[in-house]
Amino acid sequence: MGEQDLLIQRFLDDDLTPEERVAFLQAVDADPSLRRRWLNLELVVAEAAQLPRLAPSARFLAQVQAKLAPASISRWDRFRAAFTVPRTLEWNLAGAMVAACVAIVAVVGLMRFAPERIVEVPVPAAGNQAQTASLSPGQESKVFVRLVLLQPDARSVSVAGDFNGWNPGQTKLERSEGGMWTATIALKPGRYQYMFVIDGKQWIADPLAEEGAGDGFGAQNAVLDVAI
Amino acid sequence: MPIEHRGVSDDAKLIVRSLKHDHDAFGQLVERYATVIVNLAYRMVGDRTEAEDLAQETFLAAFKSLPTFRAESKFSTWLYRIAVNKCKDWLRAKRPGQGVQDVDVDEVLDAGVAAEERTPERLLSQQQVAAQLDRAIQRLPPLYREAFVLKHVEGLSYEEMQEILSVNADTLKMRVYKGRLQLSRELVELKEA
Repeated sequence: MGEQDLLIQRFLDDDLTPEERVAFLQAVDADPSLRRRWLNLELVVAEAAQLPRLAPSARFLAQVQAKLAPASISRWDRFRAAFTVPRTLEWNLAGAMVAACVAIVAVVGLMRFAPERIVEVPVPAAGNQAQTASLSPGQESKVFVRLVLLQPDARSVSVAGDFNGWNPGQTKLERSEGGMWTATIALKPGRYQYMFVIDGKQWIADPLAEEGAGDGFGAQNAVLDVAI
Repeated sequence: MPIEHRGVSDDAKLIVRSLKHDHDAFGQLVERYATVIVNLAYRMVGDRTEAEDLAQETFLAAFKSLPTFRAESKFSTWLYRIAVNKCKDWLRAKRPGQGVQDVDVDEVLDAGVAAEERTPERLLSQQQVAAQLDRAIQRLPPLYREAFVLKHVEGLSYEEMQEILSVNADTLKMRVYKGRLQLSRELVELKEA
């Protein structure tokens, strides 16, 4: 679209500054071709504004109202509508943050306190380790094994073994009354060697383990047999 | 011809009553805007029967969506938006060759509102121009057509059109410009022919 055509269009939209308007009208006065183009466009606009209006048919309103009025709504439809009709929810940031916090607390609480379904099954006794089978649906069977060490002078106790890559930082025992340290770990049935680690530096075999095995470095690992 | 200005409070009262399933109140809204919506649809699709069907669908959709209507915007703007979308859907779905104008322009002019006196020659000329312009509008690409119709047939401002079509005003201006140009060229060619 040329510059002059654009001016015509802006003139039709009453979009020119007073100075531009004066310049445009002077140009139109001097240029017959520009004048003709402008008048043709003015005619289109004027004729469009005068186009005849259709009147809706006599039945139009009745047809709309007939479609509006449903057959008597059943109680079931009203009940269903109460749940399915879209509603506008108004919210503010404070309310949204409170709701988010409540949701987070609920999820964390569930994860912490809701145990897997645990069923007690008779298992061969191994030292004083209590074993409990876990029968979470859809999962491979695991056995909960409780490890116990009496070490009143220790500041920290952890266990390292085949089940945690011999990483003493991974499985820490918790201290309870009387200097008793305990941890409960879930293990698949199998045979595991392990040691306790006292204060992060002293490695000792489980004194209560029934079976031991040399570690190849002159020390003894405890051996744990886990079976369902 | 622009929509006659309605007090916002008049429409608002009818809307509130309509939300309580007062069909008479919604019927009054339909009566107020039926002519405007039918004419918009007719200019967009070029077929009177289809235009009335689309207008009815517009009002039914408006009634169902009434709970989502925001009082900050004008009811007419909201209704226009629904109508334009219905027309676009119809245009997208129609096969080529359909949607040809079927209204007898003479019949429409006789039923028109204007009452000024005209000479027979002048009336014939106006009828011819109106018919030619109607057909030429139907030949505009849909985007130019909707912009031109809303601007020059419905008499809306670019701000209102922006709200209805969710397109910025500069783009709408270009569409209107191009629509005018095409119509102007076609009418000139017809006169010369």
